[in-house]
Amino acid sequence: MSEIDPIIHQPVRLRIMAALAALGAEEQLEFTYLRDLLGATDGNLGAHLFKLEDAKYIQLTKTFVGRKPRSYIAATLDGRKAFQDHIAALRAIIGEDPS
Amino acid sequence: MDISREEAAEALQQIDEMTTRVKRAVANGGGDVLFILWGMIWIVGYLGTQFFPIYAGWLWLALVVLGSGATIFMTWGRMPVSSPVGARIGWLWFFLYLYINLWVFLIYPFLRIKGMEYTFYLHFGAIQATVPMFAYVVMGLWLDHFMLWIGLAVTALTLVGLFLFPSYFWVWMAVTGGGMLLGTGLYIRYRWRV
Repeated sequence: MSEIDPIIHQPVRLRIMAALAALGAEEQLEFTYLRDLLGATDGNLGAHLFKLEDAKYIQLTKTFVGRKPRSYIAATLDGRKAFQDHIAALRAIIGEDPS
Repeated sequence: MDISREEAAEALQQIDEMTTRVKRAVANGGGDVLFILWGMIWIVGYLGTQFFPIYAGWLWLALVVLGSGATIFMTWGRMPVSSPVGARIGWLWFFLYLYINLWVFLIYPFLRIKGMEYTFYLHFGAIQATVPMFAYVVMGLWLDHFMLWIGLAVTALTLVGLFLFPSYFWVWMAVTGGGMLLGTGLYIRYRWRV
């Protein structure tokens, strides 16, 4: 039976994983777009992304557009599975069929 | 970790909301700005063609060059979602216009029939309008049905204007084609905004 994942369940990280899980397998979200989507600050978002990256739930890719650095974030396979397990656990709590 | 039923329900609701917003952003893909840009280009270009036909060729050349440059600037590495599909769409547009200009170049010497110059320019204008709509239809089939319907609608409007209102074809295209693109961009921007 799936269990609540304390790393994912934090409100900001939950929404980060929801956003990343909504993307296709080869798609990544740009950092500033994710920040604006969440209404977070750079530092706040960065701290949460560090936590998720440390758990190997997300992958960060840094690149340059012209001279401007840009960071892209994608969920890893482990992250997607962990997120799906977390959703199943939430649904089990409210009595829904996890599938 | 134990959480209450209410907390679990709230978490699931937040997940649904975020999923919807991101999927719409992906579907839009920054297209709102591009629809607005090219809608304005069509309006200026077609009205210019109606009222200043002598300068139409140069006007369209300048508008297409400016519009293409702006499109590349706005989309190259600046989209919120990075995807190999996005890059392929960019190349689709490039090769589409390359091929359509190649075909026009190849058959151009045989198209200009004396006494039918105005009709030729009308049909040529209709081709230029429906080429990007073909790309919308193709992208709509693969990515988002919304674009499919825009492509088909503007194509239909182009044909209506060409065959039913030939004397006002350019104004018709400015209002219907340009207006539809501009309106679509504004709709996406304000209806689907993050």
